[in-house]
This record gives sequence, C-alpha cells and structure tokens, in this order.
Amino acid sequence: MTKIKIKNSYNGLFIRVLTRRSRFRSAKLTATLYHRGGRLGGFILNFNGMKIHLRGIVILVGNFGSGKTEVAINLAVNGRREGLNVRIADLDLVTRYFRTREVRRFLSNLGIEVVVPAEKYLHADLPILSPAIAGMIRRPGQLTLLDAGGDDIGATVLATLADFLKDKSVHMLQVVNPFRPFTDTVKGCLKIRDEIEKASKMTITGIVGNANLIDETTIEDIYGGYDFVSELSRESGLPLMFITAAVELLPKIDMKRFSCPVLPIRRQLVLPWQKGR
Amino acid sequence: MGKILMKGNEAIGEAAVRAGCLSYFAYPITPQSEVSEYLARRMPEVGGVFLQGESEVAVSYMIFGAVGCGARAFTTSSSPGISLMSEGISYIAGAELPAVFINIQRGGPGLGGILPSQGDYFQSTKGGGHGDYHLMVMAPAGVQEAVEMVMMAFPLAEKYRNPVMILGDGLIGQMMEPITFPDHLRTEPPNKDEWASNGMDTRKSSKPNLVKSLFLDPKELNAHNLLLKAKYERMKKEDVRYEPYNIDSDYQILIVSYGTMSRVCKTAIDNMKEDGMEVGMIRPQTLFPFPEAAIHDAASKAGCRVVVSIEMSVGQMVEDVERCVRGKCPVEWYGKCGGEVPTPEEIAGAVRSLLEKNAGSFGAKY
Repeated sequence: MTKIKIKNSYNGLFIRVLTRRSRFRSAKLTATLYHRGGRLGGFILNFNGMKIHLRGIVILVGNFGSGKTEVAINLAVNGRREGLNVRIADLDLVTRYFRTREVRRFLSNLGIEVVVPAEKYLHADLPILSPAIAGMIRRPGQLTLLDAGGDDIGATVLATLADFLKDKSVHMLQVVNPFRPFTDTVKGCLKIRDEIEKASKMTITGIVGNANLIDETTIEDIYGGYDFVSELSRESGLPLMFITAAVELLPKIDMKRFSCPVLPIRRQLVLPWQKGR
Repeated sequence: MGKILMKGNEAIGEAAVRAGCLSYFAYPITPQSEVSEYLARRMPEVGGVFLQGESEVAVSYMIFGAVGCGARAFTTSSSPGISLMSEGISYIAGAELPAVFINIQRGGPGLGGILPSQGDYFQSTKGGGHGDYHLMVMAPAGVQEAVEMVMMAFPLAEKYRNPVMILGDGLIGQMMEPITFPDHLRTEPPNKDEWASNGMDTRKSSKPNLVKSLFLDPKELNAHNLLLKAKYERMKKEDVRYEPYNIDSDYQILIVSYGTMSRVCKTAIDNMKEDGMEVGMIRPQTLFPFPEAAIHDAASKAGCRVVVSIEMSVGQMVEDVERCVRGKCPVEWYGKCGGEVPTPEEIAGAVRSLLEKNAGSFGAKY
C-alpha cells in the first residue's frame, strides 16, 4: 500500500511517499524525493521508476572499499545518458589502485568531464589534488561528482576545499556496504559517519546503500542490504537516497520491496582477467 | 559465517589474526600499507600488538626477537622494503626460526613503481639475503587463497623452523573479493621449549636456549648448512603445491604461470578453448619448493610442442621452468613488467605466435 502526496514547495514539487509502516518502518524517512524544476534540475531515471534527484555538487564519502568510486562512475554515466552536463573529480589521495582516473578515457568518451591529476602523475605515490577542482566547484555543472578517498583520512581533503564549498548546494552522501569490515553494524556506520564529518568539517546529508559481494551478490544480499540501510537511515535520521544493484541482478529483483530508487550498477573497475565494460 | 567483502591487504591482516598471530611489526609502503592500517585497528581488539618500526631493517629484527622468544609473528612489506629486510631474513633462516614474511610486490628495480609486478621471484626463491638458505615461498592467485596461505604459513614455518614468504603482487593487496575465513586452518602453536629463548623459569629447565646464526667453527657451520639443506629437501618431498588447469586436454602448448598472472592466463585459456584451441597450464602455488615433477610431466605429454612461462617480469621463473622441462621441448617466456598486466587477448596472441614459431618443434612426442 503506497500513498503519494504531492504539494508545492518553494521552487518545485515536493513528493513524499508513505508506505505501510508495518512493512517498511523507515519508509517515511527513506523515500523523501525532491523534484526541483529548472534548467539545472538533475534527474536520473531508474529501473524501478523512482528517480534519484541530485543537483549541483555531490560528494561521495564512506569507509575504504564501500564502493564510492563505482557509485560515482555509474551516477556519472547514468546522468550523462539522461542528457545532463556531468563532471567528475577524483579526490582520492589515499588509495593507489582502482580509482576514477583508471576509467577516465571511458568517461571522457561519453562526454563526461573528468578532473584527475595530469597524466604523468597518474601513478605517482603522491597526494596530488588537481587545481581544476576548485574551479569546478566554483562553477558546478548540472551534476558535479566529487569522489573522495576512504574513511576519515580520505575525507580530510574536503576540509581543504571548505572555502570553495561554502554557500554551494552540496549533497554529501555516505556510501555503505554492510558486507565490508567495520560497517557491518549500524553502530560501525555511525562511527565512520562521525569520523568523516569531523575530518571533512562537513555534514553528511544522505545514505547510499551499496550492499554487494561483487559477482557473488545474491538477491537476498540486496534485500538484506536494503533492510540494513533502512535501519541505518532510521537511526541516523539521514534520508536513504538510493540503493544500488548490479544490472545482471535487476530482472530478478522485486522492486516493490523498496521505497527508494535503485541505481543500476554496471561495473567499470574490473580486474585484468574479467570482461570489461 | 557468511562471506565478507575484503581487500587483499585487509584479508591478509585478518587471516594472521585468525591464525593466532598476535605480533605484527611493519613499516608502511605502497601497495601494502592497508595491512598495517587494518591491524592498527584490529590488534588492540584481540589483545595483540602492532608496532611500527623505524625502518624495514628494524622490523626484520623485531620479528627475529619475537619468533626467537617463541611467539608467532609476521610482517608485510613491498619489494624495496623486503630488500631492506633481507639481512634479517638471512639471520632468521640461519637461526632456524619460524617467521612469516609477506611481499606485496611492486615494480622494480630500485624504487620502481607502485603497480603490480612479479619481479621479486629471484629474490624470494633464490635468496635475497646472504648465505645458503631458502625461504618456503607461496604465491596466492586471489584474496581467498591469500587468506588460506597466510593461515597455513604459520604452522608450515613451525614445521620446518624456517621463514615462509607469501609472494603476492599489488593486485592481490588492492583488489577486493568475497571471502570466508576457514576455521579448520587455525592451528595451535606447537611447544617451542626445545629451542625458543622463552625463559627458563616458565619451561622449568636448567638448559638455556640460545637462538643464533653464528657458527665460528667451520665444521659446525658446514654441519649446520647440511641440516638446512636436508630441511629444504624435505620441503620438496612434502610440501609442493600446484594447480593444473586444462591439463587433461590435448594441448600443444603448456603455460606455467603463478599469482594474479595465472588468472589472466585462465581467462585466455577459456577463450582459446571456445575457439577450439587447447592450452594447458601448471600454476605453481609454492615457488619454493617448485613443482618440478608436475612441470616435467606436463611438458613430456605427447603433443606438447612448447612451454611458455608467463610472468609480470622480464623472465625469472622461466629459468626454473627450463630446468624442470629438461630439454623435452623448447621453453619460451612472455610477459610485461612495470605495472602493466597483460590482457587475455595479448596472452592468446603470444600463445598463438609462439606455437607458430615452434611449429617445427617435435615436442615431447618423439
């Protein structure tokens, strides 16, 4: 049983989806969708008909290996396919492998603006932040994605961008995979949220559920992951912006089970022996 | 317990904890630093110790001290760091101590680069440090296997009272895979009272145990080296591990490859099979002791015209492969280094051209 209330808000439509509390206790919080019209409106259509609305600057944070980069890349690709002007910046100064920069050509070919360190420094073991990032924040595109490094250490870089980020419309989303160490409990996720907020001097505004075991993910893992982030949403008071699911799993998933959008994931960061995009 | 998604470096740290190792000493270096980051959080939870040394040289002697006192201890590093540890490793081998060293290789020589490589094959299997000694060397091809090898490494080191090295590469350390921790591989440390410098009061003995690698009497040193040699011969008899792949097919070319490189080879072999071409592979899981007989037998199979060692180096293991094939058929090398990982397509291309080049080879058939 789903009721949809629509009312006018300041600059667009405000839609709230209410589901029976007995089924999804956190649905009221998790399924708040904002649609703001206008030229800059960022809409990404999704498989289950619900829409992820992200406008302006979107920063992805989370613990090591939570899947920030894969989510950022897929958001970028989906956004671009919807005709948005998309920019993505690699802010990962912490890890050295499997970063956005590794798929820069793939993204550029789609017409996505990719901001990464200069080619000759791509594999330097140095924390290089491209100066272009500040300019990108000053004049964000319709969808501007900042892919931060893992944990509080990776998020520290955001504090250095604080001057550029203030007065901007910013979504800062915590990507959560409950199959990763240290985020397999709500308490663990809240601890990392706190650490990231302190290090970045910024506030997390929403949650992204990214439950997966890469190519061993089952439908039950997706359902269990959804329940987990729903509980996290309730405990933290943060809205569940969307969850993710590999495109191969989508046909088997009962979308009615979710009261938030689902971002289809087409894995881009693959290993040398796996088939690429 | 269900599966958990872990980065190789984190999984290596957790596997050591699950194996009952509570002493970890290390110095950070890309691409293995996440082991230390993980254990800095994890060791206090289990009552263990992580101590960062002031250099890799210091770390190797922290290991010497800990294992000399009978504790299970290990360290992780990457190529240049292992070079610095080599002196300590030689001392530990000389003093017959059971330590575990993990090398998540990066490109070399010198500072090289931070991307995956298999350029430390010679260093790991032929020495690295000085003197007549060998490490037992295991090479995982994935995160799950890395977990299992780490858990096996501690009892194997204790069985031989010899250092064991896990030789991975940057990909093993950095990639994520769903894994489980096999509880059956957890072992209790054996009684070390016979040799460990673990305190005369605790073992109620009047005989002090002296842990040392110094033997000034040449006869004594010769006898000591022969004892070590006997140990390495025993490893060759009892602990050779390898995985055959598509070896029952009628292959004309045999690949020998290890670690992550072997996974690219498997994809290439599967693709070539779909195209009607059979290729066999032996994947050494232990690099010392090396699967000599398995490679010799596979190269001796009727129809095998050429053997190729595929490595992320400019050809190191190929020398051992050549030694094992013993002239049964030509032995070739293919590979890349410096961080570039050959693709399945490049391997298939190399395999086809090597087969063409050796079309005149009669192989083992004649």
